[in-house]
Amino acid sequence: MVFAHGFGCDQNMWRFVAPAFAADHRIVLFDHVGAGGSDLTAYDFERYGMLDAYAEDLLELLRELDLRDVVFVGHSVSAMIGVLAVNAEPDRFGALIMVGPSPRYVDDDGYVGGFTADDIDELLGSLDSNYLGWSSAMAPVIMGNADRPELGEELTNSFCRTDPDIARQFAEATFRSDNREDLGRVRVPTLVLQCARDAIAPQAVGEYVHAAIPGSAFVLLDATGHCPNLSAPAATTAAIRSFL
Amino acid sequence: MSGSFAGEPAGTPLGDALREQAEDLYEDAPCGYLSTLPDGTIVRVNRTFLAWTGYTAEELLDGRRFADLLTAGGRIYHETHYAPLLAMQGAVREIAVELRRADGSRLPVLINAVLKRDDGQPLMIRTTIFDATDRRRYEQELVLARDREREMREHAERLEREAAEVATVLQQSMLASVPLAEPRITVGAHYRPAVEALEVGGDWHDAFPVEGGRRVGMVVGDVVGRGIQAAAAMGQLRSATRALAGAGLGGPSEVLARLDAFATGVPLALLATLVYADLDLESGVVRYACAGHPPPILVAPGAAPEVLWEGRSLPLGFAPDVPRAVSGRLTLAPGARLLLYTDGLVERRGEPLDRGIDRLAVEISEWRLEPPQPFVDGLVGALAPGDVNPDDVCALCVQFGRP
Repeated sequence: MVFAHGFGCDQNMWRFVAPAFAADHRIVLFDHVGAGGSDLTAYDFERYGMLDAYAEDLLELLRELDLRDVVFVGHSVSAMIGVLAVNAEPDRFGALIMVGPSPRYVDDDGYVGGFTADDIDELLGSLDSNYLGWSSAMAPVIMGNADRPELGEELTNSFCRTDPDIARQFAEATFRSDNREDLGRVRVPTLVLQCARDAIAPQAVGEYVHAAIPGSAFVLLDATGHCPNLSAPAATTAAIRSFL
Repeated sequence: MSGSFAGEPAGTPLGDALREQAEDLYEDAPCGYLSTLPDGTIVRVNRTFLAWTGYTAEELLDGRRFADLLTAGGRIYHETHYAPLLAMQGAVREIAVELRRADGSRLPVLINAVLKRDDGQPLMIRTTIFDATDRRRYEQELVLARDREREMREHAERLEREAAEVATVLQQSMLASVPLAEPRITVGAHYRPAVEALEVGGDWHDAFPVEGGRRVGMVVGDVVGRGIQAAAAMGQLRSATRALAGAGLGGPSEVLARLDAFATGVPLALLATLVYADLDLESGVVRYACAGHPPPILVAPGAAPEVLWEGRSLPLGFAPDVPRAVSGRLTLAPGARLLLYTDGLVERRGEPLDRGIDRLAVEISEWRLEPPQPFVDGLVGALAPGDVNPDDVCALCVQFGRP
């Protein structure tokens, strides 16, 4: 069972959910390159401008660990990264769990993603002003000690800290992506987990994903916000378990 | 009220002020104060917050959530950073967001929040809000300054790259010339720029008719410095050498003396080194002279390579009043070759020039049966492999007749 975090933080997002499956699954947690405890020097600005690079990373990880019959649990943008990976190598996956997915965040002709292009610019501005707290003096501590993550964790807001340029590019790759076309090609049993009140992936978007993926299941969680894995871990765990 | 305060007696203005009511302390605190349920629903708000934002308590306590007060971009930030951090760490500090006021205007704020738990379960969130209008303005200036600095740096880097390209084109166009159409000799030449050098160097080679074709002049030189200026100085020296030698007034030693005079007027040509030789196409007589340059090498059929140590004097313009050494002189047998080169072919850091020349002699024995062009290509490839040579390398070989 492989858990992937979304835009913003790192694998700590799964700390209330993943342990519940440890008894009967092999659990694999990882940080996307550029996030959390990953080696930031491996980040390539040429490469990570598209979500495909993250899907390739994921497949490389599965191959390296020789994982098969994988239950992939992707939160937010990682749900779409999962779709790309599943479509590229369907035989490797047993199930796809999408938590708060959105194939496109920006409204389009007849499609309601919930945001305008201006909103996304505003997010980038918000990132900029918050990353002023990221001081270049601290960067080496975070970047140079992938083997000693406790150094990074002592820093304020460390779970969500990364290089501002990387965060900006990940935000653009995430919020300017359009993967609606990829949904229809999913051929793996899929569960869409949707929060009732999600400010990022509204319910209508979750239903769109459900309708577009043939044979997918849909569970509406009575939860507020975009992170049921943190705000409603018991309900999230139960929904995944009953699907499996 | 409880809490710690200095022991001023009641009845004095300071004493009474210190005993202010908790209600006032909360309502009129110098920061906004919000209490919400774990899902963000606002359940209590202080007067300061209402005054700053223009909302009424009724509006906010009617099921409104904290995230609803944020701009759309701020809401994404809230959901992807703020809320997860609060859930994981139990507290967040110094998060910068903009609040939407009742009138639609925006209030930049910094917020701190703690998650209060009851028996492990999230119970409520306490949030303090600080007006950050001036601070945000200052930050925006910093961001602008940073962006401007980045733009200028990129512009400068682009200019630098373009200059390097111009220098390369300039240098290549100057090195390329019509090949010498002279059936009695065969010429091979090789120029290889330094690895990882952003700018071209000032090495050059040339072979040209002298005295209306009676002789062939040949030169390999090395200008101090790199880049456009070195390339331009190289071009000037190359032309000057052709012009001063082409008429055939005097031998190599005289050519160097005239180049001395030329170089004193062209600062970038000062201290350039070169070897100049001319070959009489009838007799095979060669005259040569070196200005601070590695010695040419004679490769005659059936004989070991011979280093030509005569005619040596200092680099151009170093001592313009000192007469140049008398030219060296020898006669080429049919099939014999003269090899001219720059120090990049033989020099290695921390070893004497002799050892480099010994190495060159070994490689000459290896390649000497090849015609002049593959001969120099082979020497350069063997002695200055393309992936390591730190300096420009230039080599010129002229073969007289056939063995």
